[in-house]
Amino acid sequence: MNLLTPLEYDYMLKAILVSGLIGAVCAFLSCFITLKGWSLMGDALSHAVVPGVSLAWLAGLPFSLGAFIAGVIAAITMGWLKRKSGLREDAVIGIVFTSWFALGLLLLSLFPSHLNLKTIILGNILAISDPDILQVVVIAGISILVLALKWRDLLLYCFDEAHARSLGMNTSFLHFLLLALLSATAVAALQTVGACLVVAMLVTPGATAYLLTDRFGRMLGMATAIGAGCSVLGAYLSYFINGSTGGCIVVLQTLVFLLALVFAPKHGLLASRRIRRLAASNLA
Amino acid sequence: MILSLEASSVTVAYPNGHTALRDATFKLGAGTIAALVGINGSGKSTLFKALMGFVKPVKGQIHIAGLSVEQARKQKLVAYVPQSEEVDWTFPVSVWDVVMMGRYGHMNFLRIPSAEDKRVVSESLERVGMKEYQERQIGELSGGQKKRVFLARALAQSGQIILLDEPFTGVDVTTEEAIIALLRTLRDEGRIILVSTHNLGSVPEFCDQVVLVNRTVLASGPLEEVFTEQNLRQAFGGALRQFHFEHSTIQDHDGKTVKLLTDDERPLVFGKDGHLEYKDRSGREDLVNKRKEEVGE
Ligand SMILES: Nc1ncnc2c1ncn2[C@@H]1O[C@H](COP(=O)(O)OP(=O)(O)OP(=O)(O)O)[C@@H](O)[C@H]1O
Ligand SMILES: [Mg+2]
Repeated sequence: MNLLTPLEYDYMLKAILVSGLIGAVCAFLSCFITLKGWSLMGDALSHAVVPGVSLAWLAGLPFSLGAFIAGVIAAITMGWLKRKSGLREDAVIGIVFTSWFALGLLLLSLFPSHLNLKTIILGNILAISDPDILQVVVIAGISILVLALKWRDLLLYCFDEAHARSLGMNTSFLHFLLLALLSATAVAALQTVGACLVVAMLVTPGATAYLLTDRFGRMLGMATAIGAGCSVLGAYLSYFINGSTGGCIVVLQTLVFLLALVFAPKHGLLASRRIRRLAASNLA
Repeated sequence: MILSLEASSVTVAYPNGHTALRDATFKLGAGTIAALVGINGSGKSTLFKALMGFVKPVKGQIHIAGLSVEQARKQKLVAYVPQSEEVDWTFPVSVWDVVMMGRYGHMNFLRIPSAEDKRVVSESLERVGMKEYQERQIGELSGGQKKRVFLARALAQSGQIILLDEPFTGVDVTTEEAIIALLRTLRDEGRIILVSTHNLGSVPEFCDQVVLVNRTVLASGPLEEVFTEQNLRQAFGGALRQFHFEHSTIQDHDGKTVKLLTDDERPLVFGKDGHLEYKDRSGREDLVNKRKEEVGE
């Protein structure tokens, strides 16, 4: 078996590169999502974008535009419902995300679009079309640019909103920006791993990097490397085992997470045992 | 620009209908440390929030150096340390990073720290005695150390007006004294410092102005005029513990010395006719001389 075989196929090469790009963007954003406690929100938005795919197809618009708008509307609905009803956030997310997803299922079953239901839910990066690649690259590019320019502001907003406000920053804008980025990346990741697994791309790399460092700058770097690395490797390996690309990527990310959980230098299970034992023996 | 902090008839109501402040009026000029004193729920934190523009007064105006709250914020005039920090202590940011956040207002669009920003952060950490902790993750500090870090962040903002909401609660005596020394140098640099505190005994030690609140500003002005027994009774109602020394216990042949022990806070001591007794008499020679003249010694 030749290790370079997958790279000889155009569709494999595209799949590997696109997965890597999406993996990197999702991972960068995952640092904010995990720290802000928005993991559930990521899951919700990745499902809530589905009706947008169908409606965009009916209106003859690019699927990603429709999906993005659907995601943003869902996020706004959640914020509005939470303020008006006084319900807890998880209940609001549960209500809005399932109803949007149900609407999406209904629309897709009535008006089949170029992306079938299975692709949207489970992803199929191997069959991604060139126009769709273009859309994904544009979304990813814009997201990376915005994040690279604004990550320090977003960090301050996530860490200490009151201080951000006292410095005269527009915190509602930053809140909305983060939501918009979340929707955009969820849309981009839709075809790679599917709506069900997008949340893994948006949480696991950040959670892994969190265990590995105490500095946010480094966390961003590590998460991005882990996200991109796992995605590239996962897409590549899926050729040999002939399995689902999305599944491969997410399983790899989970393996890395488990490794970090056990072996991380300071926050890992082994390290904290060792450090405590060391402190105890120093006392004795 | 002449530095000043001015509130006129400020009335603040919360969404639940509670009017926390009614017609609060006071004015502070440059180069002062002012104490904000009142019981729990008297509206001290509310006043700070109004000065920061976090709550909008339903009536009245606030002027900071003649500007509106909004404009003053744009000019980076005001730094604020809230009563309790509502931050996520598990965040992967170091003490250094947190203090650097105070410099964001001075940075460009990308918020990349300049050499000047780094110098100010380093100096601020040194001033609160937290330089050696700069690499620590922010959650790995004690409560008092956390307070000092946020004080350093306020210093790093280089604001001309510094608002401190109860900086001394949960802080040990050494740190309290260090913070007081720091506030004095800031005052001497011409800034306005407004500090809320429940520690009445330390007020005469370091403040020169007092704002007494109880759901409104009861009195404000120079310490000697405002910080009187009568005003404090009015502000605190029955909520003050007191211990009255009878004349007989203070004998001439004891050198008029009285020893007062207290478990945490500094006691506030008034003389017989209600004048303030200072622990530290240096720098107050004029007062001592005045007393001498009064009794004709
Ligand atoms: N967010 C809020 N919503 C409604 N009422 C509030 C809110 N915050 C404070 N209050 C009320 O406003 C009043 C003033 O509160 P504030 O926090 O200003 O008191 P304080 O003087 O700072 O007290 P403390 O000494 O306990 O810090 C209190 O009666 C309080 O119950
Ligand atoms: Mg308060």
